Amino acid sequence: MGVNEHDAMRELIALAAADALDEREQALLAEHLRHCQACIAELDEWRALGRGLRRLPTPQVTPQVFERTRQQMELQLATAKENRLNPWLFGTLVLLSWTLTAASWPVLRILTQGATSWMATDIRGIWTGLLGYMVAGWAIGGVMVIALAVKRAGTGRTA
Amino acid sequence: MGPQAADTELARLRRGDPEAFEQILGRYQHRVFRYLVRMVRDRAQAEDLFQQTWLRVTQKIGQYDPRRNFEAWLFSVARNLAIDYLRRYKPESLDEPPPGDPEGQTREARLAAGGPSALDRVLARERSERLEASLAELPPMYREVLTLRFEEEMKIEEIANVLEVPLSTAKTRLRRGMGHLRQILESTGAQGIWA
Repeated sequence: MGVNEHDAMRELIALAAADALDEREQALLAEHLRHCQACIAELDEWRALGRGLRRLPTPQVTPQVFERTRQQMELQLATAKENRLNPWLFGTLVLLSWTLTAASWPVLRILTQGATSWMATDIRGIWTGLLGYMVAGWAIGGVMVIALAVKRAGTGRTA
Repeated sequence: MGPQAADTELARLRRGDPEAFEQILGRYQHRVFRYLVRMVRDRAQAEDLFQQTWLRVTQKIGQYDPRRNFEAWLFSVARNLAIDYLRRYKPESLDEPPPGDPEGQTREARLAAGGPSALDRVLARERSERLEASLAELPPMYREVLTLRFEEEMKIEEIANVLEVPLSTAKTRLRRGMGHLRQILESTGAQGIWA
């Protein structure tokens, strides 16, 4: 056994005690250990160190920390779920609003100008009226959305 | 847990099922906490990082690649937070070995500094306390690899995965970490039989 081989094997001994050698390294070390008592003793010491590390007491999470973490996770999951739903809800509301606006225009026209107003040939006037009606409706809705958003932001800051 | 059950649980986690999250929190709580305590050496800070880890898990579960080992992913989430904390508040050497690397030192030279009989006497008392204290003296890069290997019982390949380093680097850190730990134990007269 040469000094070089012995030094090379010493590099592997700690890893052997940690079960971190590949098959080739294991075979090399096993062959060396067959005739090197010093390395066998060295391996025993490393293994003892490994056993000591495995037996270290495990710090425990307190029930309070566990519960606090669980609650925070639950809250975050609920917020994430709400955020996922918001775009769908918004889209549905927009679609509903357009439908209601379009559907209510004929009703409004009949109520204000009579049932025969639909027989009028003034197509341009009808479309202008519809456009004005929708713009007014959406402007009012927009102002309300902005007011609600401002109120919500203020609530968030003070929470 | 079988692969099918694991798949089902993962699907529940991805759906954001609170019960599934509570189950994995219960299953891994002490292991993740132990790892964080070893990393930052401060119980209160470890508790804070513990909570941050699980919040990050709930946020990032959608990005988890099921082909990857879940434990390795979970520990890498905890690791990133611990490393961020150490870089910010305890800028110890995270990437470079400290001076006095035992790699160049012979066994004889190391033993001469202590002496086996003296070491054996010290070993008779304060075993795990001394070992724990010595472990805490190591740089984080060595503490983490030792705790992942010996306390978490991760294979070296999984450790390399958590650390996001090549296998050879993980092995080198493990070997050097053990060497440093033994050097510290010897310098305090606490090396010997732990069994």
